[in-house]
Amino acid sequence: MLIRTGPKNRENFWLWFTKIAAGFLIIFLLGIHLIVNHLIVPGGLLSYRQVLAYYQIPFIPIMEVFFLIIVFTHSFIGVRSIILDLNPSKRVLSIVDVALVSVAFIFIVYGTWLVIVVYQLGRL
Amino acid sequence: MSEPKWLVDFQILRQHPGDKPHFKIYPLEVDPEENVLDAIERIWAKKDRTLTFRHACHHSTCGVCGMRVNGVEKLTCITAIKSVTKNGGIVRVEPLRNFTVLSDLVVDMGPFFRHMGETRFNSVAPVGYASLPFEPDPTNSIPLERLVDCIECGLCISACPAATTNAEYSGPAALAAIQLMLTQNFSPDLMALADHDNGAWRCHSAFECSEVCPSNVDPAWRIMNLRRRVVAHRFKSLFKFPKQEKQHA
Amino acid sequence: MHNTPQSNKWPLWFDPRHRKMGSWAFILNRITAIGLTVYLCMHLIVLSKLAMGPEAYDSFIALAKKPAVIIGEMFVIAGAIIHGLNGIRITITSFGFGVRYQKPIFIGLMVIAGAAIFLFGYKIFSEL
Repeated sequence: MLIRTGPKNRENFWLWFTKIAAGFLIIFLLGIHLIVNHLIVPGGLLSYRQVLAYYQIPFIPIMEVFFLIIVFTHSFIGVRSIILDLNPSKRVLSIVDVALVSVAFIFIVYGTWLVIVVYQLGRL
Repeated sequence: MSEPKWLVDFQILRQHPGDKPHFKIYPLEVDPEENVLDAIERIWAKKDRTLTFRHACHHSTCGVCGMRVNGVEKLTCITAIKSVTKNGGIVRVEPLRNFTVLSDLVVDMGPFFRHMGETRFNSVAPVGYASLPFEPDPTNSIPLERLVDCIECGLCISACPAATTNAEYSGPAALAAIQLMLTQNFSPDLMALADHDNGAWRCHSAFECSEVCPSNVDPAWRIMNLRRRVVAHRFKSLFKFPKQEKQHA
Repeated sequence: MHNTPQSNKWPLWFDPRHRKMGSWAFILNRITAIGLTVYLCMHLIVLSKLAMGPEAYDSFIALAKKPAVIIGEMFVIAGAIIHGLNGIRITITSFGFGVRYQKPIFIGLMVIAGAAIFLFGYKIFSEL
């Protein structure tokens, strides 16, 4: 029997593994993102028309939304891990968890909306 | 013929309860082959009897003389003065980091020993488990036991960035001890201790613990191996099926 | 007393003095992580200009092509490359592989990072 009976476990294998797996996927997705946005196009940045044209490629909107979800997952689990290094109290961590999940949800919904808008603008 | 003497300034961090920490300089004539602990003892004996520090075996077995020398964690009983300074130079001596300082160079090892105690750490193990797997086997596969390498000096805790901000973190030594115990016998309690936010997931792969370990524990390697064991355990438990009863004719 | 682990000691995470390569990798990873998270949120907010029409977005792109902004963008790209490649090293070692070789792995990956950052920088600055 363990001498130390608490505190409650606040970061287990699955959370860590999700962060690692998301990070691995980001390497590919971010690689594509950086190459398309900075290496391929003359001038190093896509213009408005070029962005709209890019989002007309069939799998790109889905890929970008997936990228958005993955990158916020990785980033915010990482931020939470940094905060856990500070040994926050149960109350502070609860507030942090709610804040991180809320902010991530808002950005993901907003980003998905933006992808849909850009896709529809490109079809006009 | 003896080595010519060096004149070295020892800057020692002094702090007694109620005092503000401050460095005090002790110029000392030393034999460069001497160890830092020898100099500290001579400073205590001949210059300042109020200086507090720990010392015991003088041959890197007990682990009590761990301090920071010029910012780096060392066992002062085996740290030659010539390896950390030159003639006319400075040796800066501070207590270990990430431990509460009780007085001068003496720190509170209590929490550390509690973390080690939770692992039910066994100081003796079969040679095959006590040694790192990539080391040559000196026993020619004869089943022998030996004292494990960890001398519980705490240098790894001092060097660990995660231990700087979190007193609940088990720390490299305890995690290495869990790995050592788990390689010998699986225990769900020890696995739970490892698969915990204050266990293996608090390590961020700085590898400083292995850089400063004076005793060949290689805690970083053991922590990464522990993570591998946790990963394997977690995946295996996903595919565990309940035992089926045998049908008898 | 002094030295006790406390949350307010977090600046010491970024102190590289007397530390070895593994610590430099940890410091770089943490700085790039925080920087990229902040940039990620800013980037998404700025992209709202796409919904405001070509004039709004293209005028933002014209601003983004100014040297000062491009230098900032290069820091982001460098941070992403360094964080990603060091992340590979952390992942490999965290599964118990290559731990004894973490230093040469770090050096090798940072050489690759340097080459990639140079390639991006050359491409971007040569078209200014």
